[in-house]
Amino acid sequence: MFNRRQFLTHTLKGSSLVALSAMVPQFVSRTAQAAAPGKDNILVVLEMSGGNDGINTVIPYADDLYHKARPTLRQTKDIVIRLDDHVGLHSGMQGLRPLWQQGQLAVVQGVGYPNPQRSHFEAMDIWQSADTKGRTTTGWLGRAAAESDNHLGGVPILHIGLSRLPLALTGAPGGGAVTVNSANSFRLELGGGKAGQQKARRRLLEDLAMPAGSGTPRRTQAGPEDLLSFVQRRQVQTLTAVEQLRELLEGPNAVPRQGSGLGQKLQLIAGLIAKGFGTRIFYVNLDGFDTHSNQAYMHNNLLAELADAVGGFFQTLKTTGHDRRVRLMTFSEFGRRVYENGSRGTDHGAASCLFIAGPSIKGGVVGKHPSLSDLDADDLKFHTDFRSIYATQLDGWLGCDSKAVLGAKWDHVKALEPKT
Amino acid sequence: MAITLNEIDAAEAWQPWQPRSNDPWNRKWAAHLYRRAAFGASREDLLEAERLGSQGTLDLLLRGMPQAEELEETLVDIGRIAAERDDSGDQLRGWWLYCMLQGGHPLREKLTLFWHNHFATSLAKVQSPALMFRQNCLLRKHALGRFGPLLQAISRDGAMLLWLDSNSNVRGKPNENYARELMELFSLGVGHYTEKDVREAARAFTGWRSDGASFTFDPRFHDDGSKTVLGQTGPWNGGDVVRIVLEQPAVARFLVRKLYRFLVSETPVPPDSLLEPLCQSFRKSEYDTAALVRTILASRHFYSKHAFRQRVKGPVEYVLGAVQAVYRRYGEEEVHYRPLPPLALANRLSGMGQSLFAPPNVKGWPGGQAWLNTSTLLERDNFAAALAMGTLWASPAIEASAAVGVASLTPAQGLGTAHSVLSIRKSSRPAALADAPEEPAPPRAFDPARIFEEGGGGVGRPAPQASARPTPSAEDIVQALLDLYLPGGIRTELRAKLVAFVDEDKPAGPALARRVREAVHAIVTMAEYHLA
Repeated sequence: MFNRRQFLTHTLKGSSLVALSAMVPQFVSRTAQAAAPGKDNILVVLEMSGGNDGINTVIPYADDLYHKARPTLRQTKDIVIRLDDHVGLHSGMQGLRPLWQQGQLAVVQGVGYPNPQRSHFEAMDIWQSADTKGRTTTGWLGRAAAESDNHLGGVPILHIGLSRLPLALTGAPGGGAVTVNSANSFRLELGGGKAGQQKARRRLLEDLAMPAGSGTPRRTQAGPEDLLSFVQRRQVQTLTAVEQLRELLEGPNAVPRQGSGLGQKLQLIAGLIAKGFGTRIFYVNLDGFDTHSNQAYMHNNLLAELADAVGGFFQTLKTTGHDRRVRLMTFSEFGRRVYENGSRGTDHGAASCLFIAGPSIKGGVVGKHPSLSDLDADDLKFHTDFRSIYATQLDGWLGCDSKAVLGAKWDHVKALEPKT
Repeated sequence: MAITLNEIDAAEAWQPWQPRSNDPWNRKWAAHLYRRAAFGASREDLLEAERLGSQGTLDLLLRGMPQAEELEETLVDIGRIAAERDDSGDQLRGWWLYCMLQGGHPLREKLTLFWHNHFATSLAKVQSPALMFRQNCLLRKHALGRFGPLLQAISRDGAMLLWLDSNSNVRGKPNENYARELMELFSLGVGHYTEKDVREAARAFTGWRSDGASFTFDPRFHDDGSKTVLGQTGPWNGGDVVRIVLEQPAVARFLVRKLYRFLVSETPVPPDSLLEPLCQSFRKSEYDTAALVRTILASRHFYSKHAFRQRVKGPVEYVLGAVQAVYRRYGEEEVHYRPLPPLALANRLSGMGQSLFAPPNVKGWPGGQAWLNTSTLLERDNFAAALAMGTLWASPAIEASAAVGVASLTPAQGLGTAHSVLSIRKSSRPAALADAPEEPAPPRAFDPARIFEEGGGGVGRPAPQASARPTPSAEDIVQALLDLYLPGGIRTELRAKLVAFVDEDKPAGPALARRVREAVHAIVTMAEYHLA
């Protein structure tokens, strides 16, 4: 009997998908079985694309310098959701209040890395690859999936969205991360006609996607993969994923999919978790944080969407009894400049905040808000390297060796260790 | 071991390619050129290209069809109306796709798409199809022109001014958005400017505004103090910054590298030495895009394995290429001509990750392998099925009723728009395969099986006359389809799979036509077909 990893390796080696299709439903149902205790923790990563204004997310309302720097964007202490005597959440984030009150929301401040990049794309690559030198071509989550031996299910990472596969997810084992567009069908169209003919058509598609020499047990290593085999492997992966996911995403007992908003994406994930889908790393994004002008309205809406979606996500998980094994972490490529610009917006900055939510986390404010007077080129200085946070999640939550994933040993952020 | 890019003699590589007896100008290279310089080719395009030769075909592509110039005026008029009467941008998307297919100048449209991706501006923020349309016209006007005037013009473009917040960039509190992207993404690339340059340049652009439609300069908001940008100090304004940027040697390297990726190959990354001759001539020509494009598309390097199938087709290339192989443009076969419903295409493109006028961000679509994930590839597979079987072209009502057999439709789901038709595919039917009614045969103009009923027969080979129609062999059918869809060939065992599929049960008549459509569906899903 195959285990799941062998199953995937086998698939990759290019053994005929036809033989595979017969096995797949049984394979999916096996993912519904309970995993070994402590081996089934789930991490959901939420990318806030565009550079979230951390200063107006976790607001240092007690600091006069804040009010001076943000004459039109500022929120006063009566408006913010007060977290302590110094900082509060933006008033749009009411949806996170229950998690905060239950001690299930960690608010991490002053996160960044040395010599911060202020280009969206360079900075995003740094966060996603966890390499500040920009040399790595794989993502930290892809490598984490490869390192963790206990990833269940044929899908190492599930990405829900319309965008390209994020760099963070590349390098995953097996066929790689699977993307599902939350609003559209995940069904292979084979037209009408007799079932036998539809089957023949699917089989033809599978046959035509087979890489050269897939009959032989081992492909000779010929340097980097050529473009043709990349597409062939992606096609095999797609046809396999459609099979793997069809009971969950299509048909009478499917997890309902309603739309492309963040809330709906997270509810889809909650539904998949409830069905026992074995994937342990999920990835979603919320775009629009590049608020150079007229920030207040847009930023409020984005933060509200995020807070409501995350709040609702954990509520659903609690109902289904899966909340204890799920943790959600946000990040953005950079924060924004301390002083607002002339367009009632903010330009690209550096250090910022992030959230980690879930019953497993010790709630609270983690780390001090960076000084608003001791700046680096008008931007906040970081005190917590994002790779320390990654390492804490990798070792302590996903149970995979952070040194192998990050290429170096990073100190854990003690406050973010799982509750004992 | 094959020659790597590092070992290529750069001077040789960009010399004009000459066909030789062992490497002649043929259908393979004609289709290659049409994939890069246009959006794929129809059968007639390929036959004409074989007749004209490589130089003649490239001349035709650079010049456009004789009627192209005249047509442009009409198209622009239509586009203006399309832009005015919709908020979503779908009319505008449909219009541009129409220009690409029927505008008579596909290379110009291809470069317009290149510049749309380069100066990636999105309707999502601009919120005005009319402004996006005007930007599109600007990009088209300069598509094969000089880069300097284009960069100056785009810096004053109404949509761009809104997109990157120039409109509210004011003295004392500059907004850096445009200044940063001008250097990072539009001209120099990361590493060829400093944060200080960004801040100084932003000051120079203060006072550049849009009055809602066009560029205005408001001296009240302009910072006329001295700025130092890229080593030059003076009381610069935005136009000066663009001039200073254009003087940097990094500009040619940045653009040549990007055009190489667009026209030649996405992997591997070429060494600087290979691109250096192109950079030199590009500078010498004052950034003449047409001359650079001609040099690249005429070169030995372009007609080599370093370029052949070395790019992943973008969704627009993939969809329009497949459509052109199946569909007849106006004038080619007037009897069977049917107007193309471009809205259906625009919807499909969005599912594949390329919604025109709405790139994901200012860096544009990342392209290459990033086009293909399991979701977008599945959309491509399903598009291939709908195109080949003809359901793509059905009106919403027809498409819905055709979908009933496939996807047990409930009346409540509504049939009003193409979008709702897409969502109908979210069926409540058990996912296992079951017998279902066959789709009706598509109209002739959209039927890929049509080529076997015509006098011209398979591609360039005599086919049986309609009257005396002995059924062509499965071998002949597959060969003709590959000649049209994948000139340049595929592995023999894959070819054999296709032949066996077509030959199964020896279909004839309508059953054979259906089998041909099914084979076309499969071919259009092949990895080889996803490569440009």
